[in-house]
Amino acid sequence: MINFLKKHMFDKYRLDKDFGKNPEETVSPEEEVAVNEDELFCQAEFDEKKSEIIAAPRYSYWKSVWKTFVGSKMNIAVSILVIFIVAFSFIYPSFSNYDPMDAPYINDASRKYLAPSAEHIFGTDDIGNEVFDVVWEGARNSLIVSLAATAIDMIVGIIVGAIWGFSKKMDKWMIEIYNVISNVPFLLIAMILSYILGNGFGPLIFTMTVTDWIFVAYFIRTQVMIIRDREYNLASKCLGTSTWTMVTKNILPYLISVIMTYISRQVPALISYEVFLSYMGLGLGMQYASLGRTISNYTSYMRGYPHLFWIPVSILAIISISLYIVGQKLADAADPRTHR
Amino acid sequence: MSTNNNEREVILSIRHVDISFDIGKKKKFKAVKDASFDIYRGETFALVGESGSGKTTLGRAAIRINPCSAGEILFNGERISGKISRKQDRNVIRNIQMIFQDPAASLNERATIEYCISEGLYNFHLYKDEEDRIAKVDKALEDVGLLPEHKSRYPHEFSGGQRQRVGIARAMIMEPQLIIADEPISALDVSIRAQILNLMNKLKKEKNLTYLFIAHDLSVVRFIADRIAVIHLGKIVEIAESEDLFRYPVHPYTISLLSAVPMPDPIIEKQRDSIVYTKEEDDPEASPREMREIRPGHFVYANDEDMVAFEERLKKLELYNAENQ
Amino acid sequence: MAEKNIILSAKDIEVKFRVRKNYLTAIRNVSLDLYEGETFAIVGESGSGKSVFTKTFTGMLESNGRVTNGSIMFHDVDLVQLKSDKDWEGIRGAKISTVFQDPMTSLNPIKTIGSQIVEVIEKHQKISKQEAKEQAISMMARVGIPNAADRFDEYPFQYSGGMRQRIVIAIALSCHPEILICDEPTTALDVTIQAQIIKLIKDLQKELGFTTIYITHDLGVVAKVADRVGVMYGGQIIEYGTVEEIFYDPKHPYTWALLSSLPQLGVKGEDLYYINGTPPSLFNRIIGDSFAPRNPHALKIDFAKEPPFFRVSDTHYAKTWLLDPRAPSLEKPEVIQDLHEKIEKMTGKGGAFYVDEQ
Repeated sequence: MINFLKKHMFDKYRLDKDFGKNPEETVSPEEEVAVNEDELFCQAEFDEKKSEIIAAPRYSYWKSVWKTFVGSKMNIAVSILVIFIVAFSFIYPSFSNYDPMDAPYINDASRKYLAPSAEHIFGTDDIGNEVFDVVWEGARNSLIVSLAATAIDMIVGIIVGAIWGFSKKMDKWMIEIYNVISNVPFLLIAMILSYILGNGFGPLIFTMTVTDWIFVAYFIRTQVMIIRDREYNLASKCLGTSTWTMVTKNILPYLISVIMTYISRQVPALISYEVFLSYMGLGLGMQYASLGRTISNYTSYMRGYPHLFWIPVSILAIISISLYIVGQKLADAADPRTHR
Repeated sequence: MSTNNNEREVILSIRHVDISFDIGKKKKFKAVKDASFDIYRGETFALVGESGSGKTTLGRAAIRINPCSAGEILFNGERISGKISRKQDRNVIRNIQMIFQDPAASLNERATIEYCISEGLYNFHLYKDEEDRIAKVDKALEDVGLLPEHKSRYPHEFSGGQRQRVGIARAMIMEPQLIIADEPISALDVSIRAQILNLMNKLKKEKNLTYLFIAHDLSVVRFIADRIAVIHLGKIVEIAESEDLFRYPVHPYTISLLSAVPMPDPIIEKQRDSIVYTKEEDDPEASPREMREIRPGHFVYANDEDMVAFEERLKKLELYNAENQ
Repeated sequence: MAEKNIILSAKDIEVKFRVRKNYLTAIRNVSLDLYEGETFAIVGESGSGKSVFTKTFTGMLESNGRVTNGSIMFHDVDLVQLKSDKDWEGIRGAKISTVFQDPMTSLNPIKTIGSQIVEVIEKHQKISKQEAKEQAISMMARVGIPNAADRFDEYPFQYSGGMRQRIVIAIALSCHPEILICDEPTTALDVTIQAQIIKLIKDLQKELGFTTIYITHDLGVVAKVADRVGVMYGGQIIEYGTVEEIFYDPKHPYTWALLSSLPQLGVKGEDLYYINGTPPSLFNRIIGDSFAPRNPHALKIDFAKEPPFFRVSDTHYAKTWLLDPRAPSLEKPEVIQDLHEKIEKMTGKGGAFYVDEQ
């Protein structure tokens, strides 16, 4: 990793004397003219159509996105990490016998508060459960909640935002709704909803997305407004293109990169949301493990048995940061300015 | 030519059009003031003016992008300004197309050339089946000198001139009657401007088109236009047949424009000076000005006092032209 | 011309830019001698390297570009060797200044016009604030700002485009430079304003005696301003000579093509002459004559070997194999034969389009 970083960082500052030498270009003197020069003083053929041919290889947007993304070893490394973590948190819990409502070792004092070791990878907790099992069960549930909430936020937000950005009439009243919603404290909504709906996956995802989509929509609306008045949209209008086609063909393709950036921030943000709500007791409920609940439960042992607190927090950090990096890198790759 | 204007068919008629924009609350900026002219079928009519003259604003009013605040615009005798039915609106879109100034900005960078050119076909279902649509796109590309293999390319892979030809193909595929070309060559490199102008002339002949050619450069317009209107600060000041305008320019603004266009001839350029035109303040005392015919088919914005001076100038020019024939 | 002093001499300049992992050769072995007091116009399409070439005179290449070969001698200093901003002090903006295309990018929108001129004067001359202000106001008046003293404290947005460009010229001239580089100074302006700005630059040149390099793509402007002309294509000057030589006796097929394709020379009902295709990609190594692929007159040798400069007259050189004694003799296109007579006919007496009453 260090070597790799070094190579890339110093590449920028290659020495002056190397400047201008293309690696693939072998420096050769003026091409020798094999035949007698005199014979070359006659009219060459001239083909008009030839100058229209584009020699460059065919451009494909998604291929270029992919190429740019896998062009960096760092991207591949972080992506593998993300895939591994996500896959592991979905597969592993079905093999462990962990059940958050059960405490089979609660009376076995020798299994409590064990430090991490070869036998107990992450150690054990206050009721003798394997922290490893608890953490991955929690990670899975947290991921499910945040991914589902992100998907809902984005789908609703993009559709509403795209229309919102286009329609001046809609803008007038949507802005008022936005102002009202963004001024109501989120915790208040969460508390009321949790009281009405109870705990569980459905209610939590609903709580997290019920107002959050409007922020996505607002973001998309602003982006749409920026490119709405560009000339190519005017050209489409002159060709009689409907608003809906303009949104899907003219506007959204331009927003892939910024939407990707948004998602890369949204997933980790919603994981933290879940952690926060669970910590406050408004999350999934007793019957489900989650990273938030786990951290909340273990906080009291921060002093005495620090591994109980720091391990789930580290896992949370690793998941959030690696997801964020992959999202950002995907967003970069989706920006055609990075394509050659 | 001018004498048979009456017999020629008017395709677009601009009648006393005002166009204003809101700037701030209650304040209005009049971009175009009382503009009137007719465009005849089959001609190239040029609208020439500097930035802020309202030429683009007026051009865009003809495709219903800018609303008129007064007056009306007729297309083939039917009013197309103000509120019209959806059917009429679709009719205007089909028959009046636009070519834009900046080919880079006016093409959708995320769509293939095939989509860009087919866009109008899709919107109006102007094709029998997929095969027919592809054939039409190929034909449109061929018409503008591009190759069928360009269909799957993206706009950024093309040079400026090629992109502008895509823009032309996209308009042509609609088989319009009137094309509004808004400075179609000013964003292009000098070496490819000629090609675009040739292409526009060729297509006009082949497809019986009428052009409204918007430009800031009088010298370019001389080559392409049949008639020219000069617009200054939202006011049309002179309308004449192209050669007539160059031989008998009477309005001081036209003269100033003509004198400012640099010609590719060092001997001439080093002799002549440009003439600065300063607009006389709108004197409330002066009698109102209107478009008046000073020669057959040659109109100038003037009042009685102006006409005396203009006619005197015209006499001089006629004398000079007779001598130098 | 021969007895005139050379004020700046560029030799074999090569400029490369790094774009991602590749190198682009923007300027390929260009040499130029600039004579004191003249106006040298560089004409070319976008991408021909005309701007890049002159940016090397003030060390203002973008950060990914370098001069990789050659020398630029200016008063016994090789400008290519200057690296830091400190090295450039006293030359850039003082002895060699530049006027760019867009006046808004050269002016700071949140500072008053006056303070921006004063700033430059104070930077290069050791005089009091009051004196600097007086100089600034007289400079503003000189570039044709009416009521200069009153407008001293106004901001750039309160000026029109043409007035802003006048201010940029005032700033560029405030240190009495020896060389003024005008990089498409009128491209963003209207024709009537363009005419005024060109006249202003010419008048000031007469008065202050600086040397001008005028970069443009517009041959009409070249005809108006230039004493000598260099035509650039694909990162090289391919022909240079006095303005009369270039317009009335061009030798390079690219110069022919540029002149012939001018819409000003078009005859109604006939096709204009036009150049096919696009300029060469500067990422590739160019073999032979860079214009050959677009040149209907190209010889076979144009695709094999780069032509040298052939001498036409003491002042006129062209880089084309057509001038080689072995080449078939070719006439320039019909459109640009008798150019002066044609344009005179077109524009009337004195070229004023029959306007001769002033």
